[in-house]
Amino acid sequence: MAAYDKFLPEGLPAWQRPFWDSLREHDVRVQKCSGCGAFRHVPKELCNRCHSSEATWSPISGTGRVYTYTVVRRAPTPAYQAEAPYVLVHVEMAEGFRMIGSLTVDDPRTVRIGQDVRITYEDVDADWSILRFEPA
Amino acid sequence: MPWRRREAAVAGVYQTPQGDLSDRTQPEVWFECAKGACTDAGLTLADVEGIIGDGPQGAGIRSRLPGAALGHDLLGKPLRYQASSSVGAAASASGLNLAVHAVETGLADAVLVVNAVAGRPEGSTSADRDQAVAAMAKLSGPYEYVYGTTRVSDYATLAMRHMHEFGTTSEQLAEVAVAQRHGATLHPLSFHGHRGEITVDDVVKSRMVADPLHLLDCCAINQGGGAVLVTTADTVRAQGRHAPVGLLGYGEGHSHIDPSSAPSLASFDAPAMAADRAFELAGVSRDDIDVAGIGDHFTINVLFGLEAAGFCKTGESGQFVTGGALAIGGRLPTNTAGGFLSFSHAGACGIFTMIELIEQLRGTAGARQVSGARHGYLNGVGGAMQNSFSAILGQV
Repeated sequence: MAAYDKFLPEGLPAWQRPFWDSLREHDVRVQKCSGCGAFRHVPKELCNRCHSSEATWSPISGTGRVYTYTVVRRAPTPAYQAEAPYVLVHVEMAEGFRMIGSLTVDDPRTVRIGQDVRITYEDVDADWSILRFEPA
Repeated sequence: MPWRRREAAVAGVYQTPQGDLSDRTQPEVWFECAKGACTDAGLTLADVEGIIGDGPQGAGIRSRLPGAALGHDLLGKPLRYQASSSVGAAASASGLNLAVHAVETGLADAVLVVNAVAGRPEGSTSADRDQAVAAMAKLSGPYEYVYGTTRVSDYATLAMRHMHEFGTTSEQLAEVAVAQRHGATLHPLSFHGHRGEITVDDVVKSRMVADPLHLLDCCAINQGGGAVLVTTADTVRAQGRHAPVGLLGYGEGHSHIDPSSAPSLASFDAPAMAADRAFELAGVSRDDIDVAGIGDHFTINVLFGLEAAGFCKTGESGQFVTGGALAIGGRLPTNTAGGFLSFSHAGACGIFTMIELIEQLRGTAGARQVSGARHGYLNGVGGAMQNSFSAILGQV
């Protein structure tokens, strides 16, 4: 595979690695508070509801609905521009939290808020996989 | 010495022409602005005792001990006060609040707020647009930037949700850009005024950058400088050069860093919190506001800002702005020099929005003057509705 020239995560604290490892394993796991049971994403050291610092990395259904989206036509770098136009989605997951990713779709004009989507994975290089969504 | 309580006011303001200052150095522009604001106040740099934000580049170690490096190294004397609000373009109202606080408590007698972007810097203030866009994309965390998000896409997703929930249209967003461009054509220092008037049709037919935001819904990236000097209202009155414009009320609202943490991406509670507190402290109502300055990286920001400030109900800002309500002479003249969209989007550009309000409230805005302007509403936003700073300005 050609050298990946888009942005990869930088400066991730070690405790956040389980999320990225779960993408690598194509089996997404999200932080779940051991104190109150709430899922949280992006990962945090503490729960904003009960302030427990105990959490597990828990499996989720991987399905949700498009909460909002955009079609990027002016990308941040030439590597992303080569893929433009591409669709970014904020997805309301079945468990009640939102995740951001890109949506794999043939025609960006068909994307709708509220449409059902599910998680897929893109293995971008030997070390990293990132989240994608596809219409469900 | 007793902890003094006295009234502060803006004594001087200054702005450079906005645009491409890559042939000048940043320190040169910083000093031009700093001295310019002092001159406007009838004072000199020797009177300055406090600085809000960064000093000029090249003043030594600033990241860890910023205040220290602004003393003997920069001013040739110790500095009494330094603070920074580190909120980018939103630093207008928050910078003014810090300066006013320092003067009113007696921490310093004259405090400068300066913003200067010039030269050939690297990163998000680069004059190279591609480099600036790439650097700004990475201001978001890795949970966003790996997907190719940009500052435009951040706001585009908010705009899309606002349209979905409230039926807001591209034509309504365009009204913001059209009204502000008109103001810019009347301001000789503006970046885009020389391009002339635009219409709603021009905006909605400009190329799409990130749906639903068109090119003319977005601010460009440019350079420029500006400064505001705050001192005691008594000094301003004694100088007799300008009407003393001060801070009548102020409020902040800090919301979220990750968009997934915000309860909604179509309406926001923290900006409303900022505005409500500013109005409460000022003891003025929404109807008392004659002119507004609302952070406008994108047209949608102004709609969010109008709703948060309570100038209209949540979801009704699209109707509110229709028909030129934000233009000079409209229902609520807003960003009358052009805002970030048409005046300047240089660094902590909220300072330009604030300077325009100050000129309106001094009654010196010339062709842009809103007649009888007594109360101004100022709002700055950091990030994508992530933190908010609101102020009510008026003569003190």
